[in-house]
Amino acid sequence: MVTIDLAQTPVREANERIRRYGADGTDVELVNPDARHHLGVGLVHPIHVRIRGSAGYFCAGLTDAARFEVDNNVGWGVGDNMYSGRVVVRGNAGAIPGVAIRGAEIVIHGNMGSRAGQVMKAGTLACAGNANFMAGYMMYGGRIIILGDSGEKVGEDMTGGHIFVGGRVQDLGSDAEQVDLEDGEDDDLRAFLDRYELRFTGTFKKIANAGRKLRYATSERQIRSIPFFTFSGASEYWNPKIQEDIYIKSQIGRYRIRGYGGARALPHLADLGFRRDVSRAGEDADVVSKVALKTEIGGLNGANPLKLSMPVMIAPMSYGALSASTKRAIGLASTLSGIAENTGEGGMSDAQRGAASQLIFQMLGGRLGWNIHDMNRADGLEIYISQGAKPGLGGQLMAKKVTPELARIRGIPHGIDLRSPSRHPDILGGDDLLIKVEEMREATGYRLPVSVKLGAGRVSDDVKIAVKDGFDFIELDGMQGSTGAGSAEVIDYVGVPTLPAVIEAVGALEEIGRRQDIELVLMGGIRDGVDAVKALCLGADAVAFGTSTIIAGGCIACMQCHVGQCVTGIATQDPAHESRYDPEAESHNIHRFLEGVRWQIAALTHALGYSDFRALNRDDLVALTPEAAEITGLPHEPGVRAKTPELRVSLA
Amino acid sequence: MCGIAGIMFKNGGGTEPAGRALIDMLDGCQHRGPDSTGFALYGDVLEDGLRLRFFVGEGEEADAAVARIGSALAKHGARIVEDERVGSNYRVRASFDGDIRKLAYDVEHAAKVISIGSSLEIVKDVGGAHEVDDHYGVSGFHGTHGLGHVRLATESAVKPEAAHPFWATGFADVAIVHNGQITNYWKMRRRLEQRDYAFTTDNDSELIAVYLADKLSQGIALKDALAASIDDLDGTFSFLVSTRDEIGYAKDRLAVKPMIMYETDDLVAVASEEVSLNRLFPGQALNTREPPPGTCATWSRSI
Repeated sequence: MVTIDLAQTPVREANERIRRYGADGTDVELVNPDARHHLGVGLVHPIHVRIRGSAGYFCAGLTDAARFEVDNNVGWGVGDNMYSGRVVVRGNAGAIPGVAIRGAEIVIHGNMGSRAGQVMKAGTLACAGNANFMAGYMMYGGRIIILGDSGEKVGEDMTGGHIFVGGRVQDLGSDAEQVDLEDGEDDDLRAFLDRYELRFTGTFKKIANAGRKLRYATSERQIRSIPFFTFSGASEYWNPKIQEDIYIKSQIGRYRIRGYGGARALPHLADLGFRRDVSRAGEDADVVSKVALKTEIGGLNGANPLKLSMPVMIAPMSYGALSASTKRAIGLASTLSGIAENTGEGGMSDAQRGAASQLIFQMLGGRLGWNIHDMNRADGLEIYISQGAKPGLGGQLMAKKVTPELARIRGIPHGIDLRSPSRHPDILGGDDLLIKVEEMREATGYRLPVSVKLGAGRVSDDVKIAVKDGFDFIELDGMQGSTGAGSAEVIDYVGVPTLPAVIEAVGALEEIGRRQDIELVLMGGIRDGVDAVKALCLGADAVAFGTSTIIAGGCIACMQCHVGQCVTGIATQDPAHESRYDPEAESHNIHRFLEGVRWQIAALTHALGYSDFRALNRDDLVALTPEAAEITGLPHEPGVRAKTPELRVSLA
Repeated sequence: MCGIAGIMFKNGGGTEPAGRALIDMLDGCQHRGPDSTGFALYGDVLEDGLRLRFFVGEGEEADAAVARIGSALAKHGARIVEDERVGSNYRVRASFDGDIRKLAYDVEHAAKVISIGSSLEIVKDVGGAHEVDDHYGVSGFHGTHGLGHVRLATESAVKPEAAHPFWATGFADVAIVHNGQITNYWKMRRRLEQRDYAFTTDNDSELIAVYLADKLSQGIALKDALAASIDDLDGTFSFLVSTRDEIGYAKDRLAVKPMIMYETDDLVAVASEEVSLNRLFPGQALNTREPPPGTCATWSRSI
């Protein structure tokens, strides 16, 4: 065993040494911990780590297989996301002990703080003392054993798993109920307690999910297919869209869910034109070779950046909303075009990892599919705060798409109407966020860029917090972004459009003099290379394409992504439907579309007089509408519209 | 977006190193708020006088502000006994026995008031705990109790006047540090404004301070005022309040914002994170506890 003195050794160096000792199989003792954060994070070897004192936030977080023992207290999130292994805490634990564990055993000898075991998937969290407010909040599986009192609202919105209380059940949470123990369960509990030398002679009360909220009472009906252009047509009262909406609500008795993007006229990049005459753009067939398009994103703070062949990446879309075949096609296309793909919510499959040469791994509040091993094989880590299509809300995946395979990856029961948490258990302000970012960096040895995905809301405050919390880049998502499932009103009426979002973001970063300290990737209804160039002119460092890649791969925009019966095999988990999708062929379609984008960016950059896309700037643009002029501060020159050619993809 | 800290030496006589303790605690959680740092410090009680602190800036701007303050104080019958400029602050000891609220509202027009009290002085500025200490000599400050705060700002310029702690405008010696967000801010503020209270910022921490001070001025005990605040204030919050003789905390029912405390016979220390408490006792395993949601408590110094 080796001893590391934290009074002498910075945490970052200590963690690197702990991981090296782990690889050698050497046990470690930490002295003078003094409640420092992130002790032992990212460890994936079965060694014993003894902490002689108190640990701070996320002790043993993002680990697998190691055995931790803490002599005194721990702060928030002990054992965060731990796969296997164990943590024994001799003192008290702060809030969210055992958050998102997937098999580990966490034992607290003292009391534990609020929201114990939030979004845990498997494993055991045991507490010899009392629990605080909302133990088992939103847990998906595993068990919590509380030998003392339960605290208020125990089992609040739990989906799966069980909570056993030895003391008083103070108050049951929403959708939780007290049930009888099954045969043998009591013996299992006592065997566990014996193993950890915890004494208990009382009887257990068992709390389980009551099953009132796991599924919508009525499922979404298939809607008549209105062509999208009708659906999104001129806004009048009682048009076909409104009628359809009311009709459906009269059948299901609740708000409506649909897929695809917003269908309402909003100010957008199309309301901008180019100041210079670009009608000759593209006459030079060899233009791609004449414009510098390569760029790197994410390296500003020393991480290994994403290397992009052009300032473009794929927007986050989940395996779940989309079929495995579709994710494979998009991944292959991203590799062919030399850009980065993104897992979206719900974890990383081997197939996705294999298809994409550069892959960003997205972390959401439910921590569905999140784990240290996939973090280690990612090329970038992303914290999702919200998305443009439904800012402030979590992901939705209807039961039809929650197959056993998908549920296994995500660590949840299958066949539920999955409404992912809209907040993170451990990110409740910019202060917590900073500690979380640091945990992710510590766990992966500061190798990977860490980004934040922000649905446009309070853009100015959000981007300032992002830069102050040390993110490498921001993925800013405007209201025109699409979703696999969202409430219809939210998709159409909640959010900030992409155009004002990018203006506000750049303005806010310039206002505090920090524009150069963070990179900005814009997404949300970016349709082609023309939109991309305008976004780059307005200050984005890169753009991301989501919906357009799906369309390139065969989507017919029927807006029924949520149903799970996608006729093209894209937004479905039904093998019969998915078999209609040919990932190899579609990957080439998507790749050709992306190459068209490349050509458009090059042709326009060249026509604007530059040889490097980084020279694009806001003086290259004018506003075509008074509203766009007001939003952007660009001169209003409606006459330019006539001069802006339809830039078409013309690839030989 | 911040970290908070508070300390009280329960049996102290006023020679305890409160400034030094708060600097150490805040340095321990500076990661929670790197932009600005502030302290509410309680010195010897001036029996028939006031301690006043103002932001006056530098150079000619400061000269003009000091002149304006002088005439505003004179108008209210306050006589300057001692004054000095420290950093961007103007610090005054004055004899005064009039209505502090009237004085405070009026002198606010002369310069930005930081704090007024017979014992309280608030020191706050941009930068970390050690930087603020370098400019204002916080470590040399002795007293029985005090509060501290580190802040991450989203406003354009990181301004010293937006730093915490906040003084309960118009009420001597009441200060607050707060981590969280009061969502019924405007509703509560209008309620207090209808009773002729004035607010000098749009910051929800000032609201909590004035809300509590109003209750205290009605003869309600601090403990009861804190209990009422948990019902009346909506949102997420963990805050610490201090008066001439007491400190207290309140925590919202959702328990979203962290707070941890350590208490012995001699002292109580409260902070956002245990790492701050361990700064006071390096190398020791402390028997700390986390206050439950929806609770409050107070501690008094022995007088």
